Amino acid sequence: MRSNLLSFIQVLRSRDVRISPAETLDAMDIANTLGFSRRSYLHDGLAMALAKTPPEKAIFSQCFDQFFSQDLLDFSEPEDARTEPDSIDQESVESSEHPSEEAPTAESTLHSAAADIPQLKALLEHPLMQNLLQNNRNELSLAINQAGERVGLSQIQMFTQKGQFTRKILDELGEEHIRQAVITLENENNSALPQLQRYRDILREQVRDYVEREYLLHAEGKNQQFMEEILSKTRLNNLEHHYLHKVLDLIRKMARKLAARHSRKRKVSKRGQLNMSKTIRGGIANDGVMFKTYWKKVRKDKPQILAICDVSGSVAAYAKFLLLFLYSLQDVLPKVRSFAFSSHLGEVSDYFVDYPVEKAIELINWKYGGATDYGSSLLDFANLALNDINSNTTVIILGDARNNNGDPKLEIMQSIYQRAKQVIWLNPESRKAWGTGDSDMLRYQSACHFTAECNNLKQLERVVDQLLKSTGTA
Amino acid sequence: MNTMDFPQLASIEKIEQGFESFGYICSTQIATAVFLAAALRKPILVEGPPGVGKTELAKTTAQLLDLPLIRLQCYEGLDEAKALYEWKYGKQLLYTQVLKEKLGDLLQGAQGLAESVERLHQFGDIFYSPEFLEPRPLLKAMQQEKGAILLIDEVDKSDYEFESLLLELLSDYQISIPEIGTVKATTAPMVFLTSNNTRDLSDALKRRCLHLYIPFPTVELEQRIIQSRVPDIDDLLRHQLVQFVHSLRQLDLKKNPAISETIDWARSLLLLSADQLNEDLVRTTLNVLLKFEDDISATEPELQSLIGEAIGR
Repeated sequence: MRSNLLSFIQVLRSRDVRISPAETLDAMDIANTLGFSRRSYLHDGLAMALAKTPPEKAIFSQCFDQFFSQDLLDFSEPEDARTEPDSIDQESVESSEHPSEEAPTAESTLHSAAADIPQLKALLEHPLMQNLLQNNRNELSLAINQAGERVGLSQIQMFTQKGQFTRKILDELGEEHIRQAVITLENENNSALPQLQRYRDILREQVRDYVEREYLLHAEGKNQQFMEEILSKTRLNNLEHHYLHKVLDLIRKMARKLAARHSRKRKVSKRGQLNMSKTIRGGIANDGVMFKTYWKKVRKDKPQILAICDVSGSVAAYAKFLLLFLYSLQDVLPKVRSFAFSSHLGEVSDYFVDYPVEKAIELINWKYGGATDYGSSLLDFANLALNDINSNTTVIILGDARNNNGDPKLEIMQSIYQRAKQVIWLNPESRKAWGTGDSDMLRYQSACHFTAECNNLKQLERVVDQLLKSTGTA
Repeated sequence: MNTMDFPQLASIEKIEQGFESFGYICSTQIATAVFLAAALRKPILVEGPPGVGKTELAKTTAQLLDLPLIRLQCYEGLDEAKALYEWKYGKQLLYTQVLKEKLGDLLQGAQGLAESVERLHQFGDIFYSPEFLEPRPLLKAMQQEKGAILLIDEVDKSDYEFESLLLELLSDYQISIPEIGTVKATTAPMVFLTSNNTRDLSDALKRRCLHLYIPFPTVELEQRIIQSRVPDIDDLLRHQLVQFVHSLRQLDLKKNPAISETIDWARSLLLLSADQLNEDLVRTTLNVLLKFEDDISATEPELQSLIGEAIGR
């Protein structure tokens, strides 16, 4: 059972549940304490050690049901009935509890037919057929399990492999004997044919179910990771439409991760209380007279982030993601103010607060979309927020710096640069394209602490991580 | 603490029954958590919406085991001086005064500075010693002879730094005091941490705890809770009011009515000697269940259908 528990934990990990070795040990202790006899106890107990947020609990329950249904089949009857497909289930009840007409007839038909055909007779002696005939479900599922192990089913990676593995397992079980017998019976037009076909179908269905279950356990999680990895490296504007919703999830996940990592670094602060122990210790040298008082200083640190996002046509594909990222950050970092612009600029923080994300982005695009004018947008920004920029402020600008040959108003950029702690410019264009055509990037670059090319989620994540690190520790 | 020491904790069923005898009706999950916490000597981190009985769980466990409940309410800015220990400064000052007077006697007849210093060293130094230590809740819980129930309430309200402070206590049941050394618990206390999830707790903290999530109860469980807390209430009314509260929780409210509010409401209905839910009755008593004006006005247009639903069942 121990190795079973370990592979269960492996499955959970592949589904993004974070489980440390210490928690694995806890889970083992819990399993030992509770025993394996009561399924619900085991479920509750393991959930406490392995899944520590509500979403993780949901994943846990789902995996638990999938994973342990098979194992419990061996010793508990009701579980057995539950996991079997209905048609077979009824048949098993009929034949095992009160032998009705159908099942015995099936067997006797086969036996009588076997008298004429030696091949069928040999088949009926085969352990696989015996199991099927006697309805020996435990033996059968054990045989399927073992066959699965022999063909390396746990290595299954892609859903396309399902058919292949099903066939391999069937071969391993010796299904070809049944197949051949079916062909023989077909040729002879024997009346026992439908019975034998039925057994063959039951067997196939069982194996298919088993492979399906194993696939869900072993491969689905990996595939998901694989997919996310691919998506996070794809250029944002190349993403196909049907992946969009997946990307949204991914962005949210990243933002949450970053926010969780960094939001804690904010410190509360004031002068604090009198530090008595230090004061007394200091006073000892002066005969216990406390000349000098020491205070418990707590550092004050309020990072403030101003984000400016270009939503004009040239960067429209990116803007959506950038806004989404901002939105997600806003959820967790309270001090983010967002601005959007193309020809003029306005604060959009309220949209993020008031509307769900899709709606907010749509509204922003609608209100601020258009031809780009960095000059007047910077002017707007200066009017709105320049006074709020101080040495705690980080300004992030997301845009391609393509200004339609207008006045870049570099002096405003410079005054922002001088006041702010950090100015970061994220440009979706590749570095080589900076400064070509109507791009003012190289000029703006002089007024930035940090510029980066940012056109896929991996880069975005890295940049934002860096940014948060520096604001957090300031 | 060991399961052996407490017959009350011998099995999950026993715990359920024990809790029930103190009027705390719990799900099997909760009982399993307490059982495991005692058996594995691990703290329990209890999360869930406000008012589902997180704090009550610790209190009831204390009653069940007949152990003292030591409670630490967390808030922003809570530090070690208020949670762990503090020095008794006044006494320490007095001690230095006394020491000064004794110093003359002590050093009498000493030859030269070297000998004086040596004598001074021989003299016991108790400036930093347990005598001058003022225990705060966490340390106090460690010093209880028979063990204790330590409730660290609303740990999510405390600062991130405070969480790290708890780690040593949670994993090894010991506290390090720089001036003295490590204080180990005489009997490991049973620790409950509660959180309302206003922020994510650190992985390090979560890793050390069993994680118990208490959701709003099912209809059946809540019925039993009301039955045990407000035993005089009529069966029919109880049925209806629990059903009504459940459908209220399906609406988008600022604050969902919790179990404590259901109990309050049941009591008020009992006082008003109601025997059935009806629209007037609900309208006049809705403020017991819903604490925001917005929620009340959002619910009012739905009242009729909600009540119909509750009575219909």
